[in-house]
Amino acid sequence: MLSNGFITPSSLSVKDLPWQIRWEKDKCTLCGRCAAVCPVHTLELGVFRKRMVSTPDLSHLTPANPPATVYQTYHGVRQKTDPAYACVGCATCSLVCPNDCIMPFRTDEADKFRFHLNRGGQARNRGGRRNAPDAAQGGLLDQIKFTRISMLTDPALDAGRHEFELRSLLGRILPPEESLKLFHEQGWTPPVREIYPLLIGGMSFGALSPNMWEGIQMGVSYLNEEMGMPVRICTGEGGCPPRLLRSRFLKYVILQIASGYFGWDEIIHSLPHMKEDPCAVEIKYGQGAKPGDGGLLMWYKVNKLIAAIRGVPAGVSLPSPPTHQTKYSIEEAVAKMIQSMYMAWGFRVPVFPKISGTSTALAVLNNLTRNPYAGALAIDGEDGGTGAAYAVSMDHMGHPIASNLRDCYLNLVKLGRQNEIPLIAGGGVGKNGKLAANAAALIMLGASVVQTGKYIMQAAAGCVGSEADRCNICNIGLCPKGITSQDSRIYRRLDPEKVAERVVDVYLSFDTELKKIVAPLGRSTSLPIGMSDALAINDKSAAERLHIDYVV
Amino acid sequence: MESQQSLRISGLQEERRIESRILEERIQQAVEQGSRNLEIEAFGQHGIGGRLWKAGEEPVHVKIVGSPGQRVGSMGFANTTIEVMGPASDDVGWLNGGAKIIVHGNAGNGTCNAMAQGKVYVAGSIGARGMTMTKHNPRFDPPELWVLGSVGDYFAEFMAGGVAVVFGHMPQDSHNVLGYRPCVGMVGGRIYFRGPHKGFSQADAKQVAISQEDWDWLNINTEKFLESIGRLDLLEALSVREEWQLLVARGPMEKVGRTRPAMHEFRRNVWDAELGKGGLIGDLTDVDRSPIPLITTGELRRWVPVWENEKYAAPCEASCPTGIPVNERWRLIREGRMDEAVNLALAYTPFPASICGYLCPNLCMQGCTRTSADMVTLDLPQLGKTSISAKLPPLPPLSGRRIAVIGGGPSGLSIAWQLRRLGHEAVIYDMGKALGGKITSQIPKSRIPDEVIQTEVGRIQEVIPHVHLQQKLNRSEFEQLKADFDFVVIAVGAQKPRVIPMPGQERLIPALEFLQESKADEISVGKRVVIIGAGNVGCDAATEAHRLGAEDITLVDIQPPASFGKEREEAEAVGAKFRYPCFSKAVTEEGLELTSGEVIPADTVIISIGDTPDLEFLPENIATERGFIKVNDLHQTTDPRVFAVGDAVRLGLLTEAVGAGRKTAQIIADMIAGKRPTGDARQMFDHHRVKLEYFDPRRLTFDSVQNCASQCSSCGSCRDCGICEAMCPQGAISRQEVHGGKGFEMVVNPERCIGCGFCAGACPCGVWDLVENESLD
Repeated sequence: MLSNGFITPSSLSVKDLPWQIRWEKDKCTLCGRCAAVCPVHTLELGVFRKRMVSTPDLSHLTPANPPATVYQTYHGVRQKTDPAYACVGCATCSLVCPNDCIMPFRTDEADKFRFHLNRGGQARNRGGRRNAPDAAQGGLLDQIKFTRISMLTDPALDAGRHEFELRSLLGRILPPEESLKLFHEQGWTPPVREIYPLLIGGMSFGALSPNMWEGIQMGVSYLNEEMGMPVRICTGEGGCPPRLLRSRFLKYVILQIASGYFGWDEIIHSLPHMKEDPCAVEIKYGQGAKPGDGGLLMWYKVNKLIAAIRGVPAGVSLPSPPTHQTKYSIEEAVAKMIQSMYMAWGFRVPVFPKISGTSTALAVLNNLTRNPYAGALAIDGEDGGTGAAYAVSMDHMGHPIASNLRDCYLNLVKLGRQNEIPLIAGGGVGKNGKLAANAAALIMLGASVVQTGKYIMQAAAGCVGSEADRCNICNIGLCPKGITSQDSRIYRRLDPEKVAERVVDVYLSFDTELKKIVAPLGRSTSLPIGMSDALAINDKSAAERLHIDYVV
Repeated sequence: MESQQSLRISGLQEERRIESRILEERIQQAVEQGSRNLEIEAFGQHGIGGRLWKAGEEPVHVKIVGSPGQRVGSMGFANTTIEVMGPASDDVGWLNGGAKIIVHGNAGNGTCNAMAQGKVYVAGSIGARGMTMTKHNPRFDPPELWVLGSVGDYFAEFMAGGVAVVFGHMPQDSHNVLGYRPCVGMVGGRIYFRGPHKGFSQADAKQVAISQEDWDWLNINTEKFLESIGRLDLLEALSVREEWQLLVARGPMEKVGRTRPAMHEFRRNVWDAELGKGGLIGDLTDVDRSPIPLITTGELRRWVPVWENEKYAAPCEASCPTGIPVNERWRLIREGRMDEAVNLALAYTPFPASICGYLCPNLCMQGCTRTSADMVTLDLPQLGKTSISAKLPPLPPLSGRRIAVIGGGPSGLSIAWQLRRLGHEAVIYDMGKALGGKITSQIPKSRIPDEVIQTEVGRIQEVIPHVHLQQKLNRSEFEQLKADFDFVVIAVGAQKPRVIPMPGQERLIPALEFLQESKADEISVGKRVVIIGAGNVGCDAATEAHRLGAEDITLVDIQPPASFGKEREEAEAVGAKFRYPCFSKAVTEEGLELTSGEVIPADTVIISIGDTPDLEFLPENIATERGFIKVNDLHQTTDPRVFAVGDAVRLGLLTEAVGAGRKTAQIIADMIAGKRPTGDARQMFDHHRVKLEYFDPRRLTFDSVQNCASQCSSCGSCRDCGICEAMCPQGAISRQEVHGGKGFEMVVNPERCIGCGFCAGACPCGVWDLVENESLD
């Protein structure tokens, strides 16, 4: 900031910014790497004037021998205060600094910057996650404990020694009599898949960089083919590369269809060439991070590659409306979408809808229970991540996943249909790094499958975003780790092989941790779906709401 | 075996099974009382044969007939030998501390669990979890388990020491003598086995070759084992070295976890093999997606520095209505090329000394970047005054195209001067005796020495023909000019004073008239002077009135006075009073009467509320607007061959008149050349790019033009300081001579540059910019 000059209402000082760069002059070698790498170009070389007034002993000072003023300049790194270039706290500068002399720090009070993020009347957009630093200290899922420890009352199991059946079922599991009746009458029973209970949720090709997308897919294929873990991944709404569609790896993939229908004509054209059926089809009606809101892939991100996969011309903005355009009522919309998607693969592939967490989830579920074709219900809670959303949607819209899932599961119990229609829960699972504990809690609250996205980005690709508004610039294509960029100068930082390795690491360690949870509960023969007597929480209201034990 | 008579203790008493506790008491009592040879008739009692330490070093032999319960020989001592004459239940040798236990049949699950010393010989097979959690205490020999048959599932889990030998003779499963998932968690010990297996925990154990020493040990001890179980007949059959295998625990450093194939191999052999070359999207793009570092050079840089030398007009140049490249002049001075710096001005103005040095408010310096940091601007008048010695450049030969310029004031002379420089003949038509218009005739002598004006006008007269008009131009004469010349330029200025119609208006003296007469010393004003209109001309009038002897001078205005700069300062210096708002009502003998009724006493009342051009000669096809000539952006009137500049178009500063003349001359020259007229396309330089930190902010005066030049920030034009070259952390910048002696340029080596922008950050002049690299898509 200049020392003088006019100010505008948006003239901010460094103090007003959310992230302040601390730079140590003594250690800096002026190597330029921080400025070269800064994604938002906040860092620049500054010229600083240093003044020294040298006064000899006062007895020597006379008008003829006055004190001397000496100016010197030095060069150093400083941050811009223009909101358009404000530091996002990603600390890539620290990553490249050879002398550890530069680092962003969160401001020690609420920043003023937030009031100036709507330039041109544009409400704030960002990617990543909610800004809920309090929740980051320990969300509800993190507070749930597993209290039913079997030592002598049940078989005492050893996570390291015993073998565990951790697979779950995706697809409609009808009671035997209904299933038989259906088979006798129609020669058909709903397809069901055995899958690993931790699903990688939909992140589109476009939201993610090509290297990130390929890395995750490669990791999933590796888990299946080398480690024998039937891990599945959802494409998100951005189509699916034709080569994947025509490969055997397609069976590890859940194809998503959403309101933009991007890439679906390419999928249709690939139908005659498919070696394998996909694992399932997810019909996306909503997203936990921005319920009831659509998406827009800006034209400048729609490069040739994205365009080819999505089946659109390059350089055109791609809107995904908040709702499917042919959706008129719940009965009609869900039923017809499910029918259509079943038909594509001759009724061999399970189809299920995904909705954002909402107090109306029960209505959707009740509808699905009456539809024997409904393969599952996926619910994405408010803590889900996104490539881009209005901040207000992300921070304030949506329903927490735990109670939403619990209500649905208990409703199924009431109907006597628990585990017939699998519930898939997601949204903030593992957001504080407690992936297995969160997933196990959701499973015991009633989820058959748990899905996660952000955790994979953080663990497999080093995403530095946080609930304290660090980075979270997935939406502007400048992801410092190359996760959400379409610029090869950026995404080539990410090696798909390394991502794949980390995906494998994540799953192996998750597997161990999940066993460390289910073994003491004495469960090894099946996933403890709905085993809520194992759960407790030290919050009485939460305990009552979730129908689990209250412990102190 | 001891020859001593054996003591038989039954597990039955009065047809009833006795409790394990009672049997244990009886065995302990017998040993305490000296029995060393016991025969126990077991009925499922627990832990028989263990803990017989009361015999001290003396051997104790326990023969068990019947059905022993679990944990035969548990916590056994080294003095004890236990022989189970039939099969044994679970946990034989549990926590064995040294006993030798021989089972002449099969043994159940958990055989040798947690055994630390001793030996267990099993003549049959054992159940699940044999040899688990065994230890080897370095103080003792390791524990041993010998099994003639096979072992059950989960064998040797967490085995931490000891030796197990599995002969695989008549195994329970002929395809697998080691059972399901052996060796999980094994950290110590060795397992000799004979026969097929279905795998073991590779993470914990490894198969090694049997050394001669091992083999010798195995042979010797096999014989002992077979002898103990009475099966020496098998010795030869079970001693075929090739049939034996050995598993040992991996050391901590050898633990491999689950071995995983390398991902790059998976990618090559599985992923790309299935999808095709280039993987997932190899068919859709040729973009290189191989890994790159965070810091990149060449085309992989996100940002690229650009040396934008002289791309923009410096703020001084852009602020100067005449368009003089002031910073270029300072540069020439810095380079010691004083003459060029002086002469350069003549390319832009015929009055570089008069206007820049004396009469101009120096808008260039008002726009100077130094003002943005509250630093004193450079002393431009000092530079202007040096231009008095500017030499005429060689002029090009005449093109034959002729332009008539009506009016020999600043704008007319400017356009004529520029047209001549461009090779066209311009002829001035003016009524004045001398050229110069306002400058020569109206500006007070106090503002500028006469000789300066004379010198500059003389310089112009050398090259510009002047037709001295004896009377006002009329319409037909104007038409004749149009016919005689290719273009006509109207630069008549504003000569017609505006007067307020009010009683006594005939007493008013228009300011222009007054200034002309005062300059010629042809007027007297008395002691009291009132001037209506407190603008700069009014101020000039006030100063002149003082020179002529006036003592009480008042300037009145209906609004806050618009005067500024030197004119205002000088008027204030002579004690002129400024009053407003004052609305004139009449001019009387006493002075100026205001609408308020007040009369300001005055001997002379001068009116200075502006002037309008005298345009009676204009033909009807040339439009006017509010008394001024209407022109387009090219200074063209509604007659395309007639241009108009200066005060005849809009009242303005001298520099504005000169600038309009210069720009219009270029437009006319362009038209003559058949080109679309172009203005100066350069945008003004953004002063934020300059780094004033390199300058001393406390410097308030400049004692020479050289001194000024050194403090010029040289906005947007390289001062050849070398800071960028020195600052570049990559050594990517070099100074290179441009071919043909056209100076130098700073060049970036893209293979070294990382795009940090430090060059731009350090450049004092803001020449470097950092721009986004071109898209790779």
